[in-house]
Amino acid sequence: MRGHGFLIANYVRGNSIIHRTPLWLKFLVVAACGTASFLIVDWTVSLVVFAIMCGLFLLTGAGIRRLLRAIWMVTPILLVIGLFQWWQLGGPTAARIVLNVLVCVVAASVLTATTPVQALLDGVVALAKPFRRFGADPERFALTIAVMLRSIPFIAGTFSDVRDSARARGLERNPRALVLPVFITTVAYARQTGDALAARGLGEPERD
Amino acid sequence: MNSISFNNVSVRVPVDGSNAPKTLLQGISLDLTERRIGVIGANGSGKSTLLRLLNGLVEPSEGNVVVHGDDTVADVRRVRGNVGFVFTDPLSQLVMPTGREDVELSLRRSIKNSGKRAARAEIVLDRFGLLHLADQSIYELSGGERQLLALAAVLAVDPAVLVLDEPSTLLDLRNRELLRRTVAELDQQVIMSTHDLDLALDMDRVLVVESGRIVFDGGAADGVARYRALCAASLLSEPLGDVSR
Repeated sequence: MRGHGFLIANYVRGNSIIHRTPLWLKFLVVAACGTASFLIVDWTVSLVVFAIMCGLFLLTGAGIRRLLRAIWMVTPILLVIGLFQWWQLGGPTAARIVLNVLVCVVAASVLTATTPVQALLDGVVALAKPFRRFGADPERFALTIAVMLRSIPFIAGTFSDVRDSARARGLERNPRALVLPVFITTVAYARQTGDALAARGLGEPERD
Repeated sequence: MNSISFNNVSVRVPVDGSNAPKTLLQGISLDLTERRIGVIGANGSGKSTLLRLLNGLVEPSEGNVVVHGDDTVADVRRVRGNVGFVFTDPLSQLVMPTGREDVELSLRRSIKNSGKRAARAEIVLDRFGLLHLADQSIYELSGGERQLLALAAVLAVDPAVLVLDEPSTLLDLRNRELLRRTVAELDQQVIMSTHDLDLALDMDRVLVVESGRIVFDGGAADGVARYRALCAASLLSEPLGDVSR
């Protein structure tokens, strides 16, 4: 498989101020960006927040190429959303919605670029601990995040492979030749991942 | 206690559009005590189903499987702690973006302290000669390195039994040799299905599976000879299609 593009940036070793920022604060920023995307109603405010998040990303030392790659990965879907919203609700609303999504993507990238995955999972486990009293297993929360991070590049890579296969057979304009194989491969991948996790004893309840 | 028993095990699965289930394995009774056990047979013969029974990925429709005193259905958690499983395609079992993170993921249940977990992961990766690749994306590794990493991640929790389902299928000759040497040096009891008959010849005992039944159970050389004879007989009875037409 090739073309496994990452929607959000991988961890980049470093000692920037963002790297040294406590995990809870980074979580809080991501959560705030998510909440803000529902609250901000002016596209210029969205633009300012987006610029701030891009600035924070560049402060991590991960580089502008990683930032552009993270943005590039969501460009096709944002283009579709943006054009549809423009047609339905006008330019300012379309710009606001697109910028708000980008704010969330960049905020998530700041978090993942400056936090080792294991630290991220430890953080999720700590956050989920209060739910233990309701029968939830914090390690399962962490595992869900891990599987999600793993699955995004896999599905992106599958799409690249399927697109190449369709091109080789002259079917690049046939949406069925693209969508169905990606769907089937993704379902098979989900089953394989489930088997692999079960075989390693991951995702099972902590107590007997 | 340190043996694996199959007691009259059958596995059947429902078939769409049919009332009659499909039989994957039929009446298997075995006691596995040898250090190295090979399972060989044609595609679809039931090898993978036999191996998957060993850590509860497949449940018997009849009979039971007992691994070191634990039933694979009733005590599945303990069984999975004891039985490590390596799949054919390492990409389907490596969950994390890098090798270091994947090994650490294996250790999350057993070592809660993140510092100790990281230290243990370093030791495991170093043991398999993978430390210099620890922080590379799993996609940037070669097939052999990925397979070794999958093995390292499974062995990190020190299982008593290691099950490998056709581990050399996707490997080139060099990496196959590397895997062969690595497996030979392991302390664990190893049960491995393979199409690599050289690898099968390294085993202490070989099972030949054909249409869901064990048709041979004995020494490696005799087992491989039996499998070759079975393949030859099936080619004679079902000649290959003529692709030139």
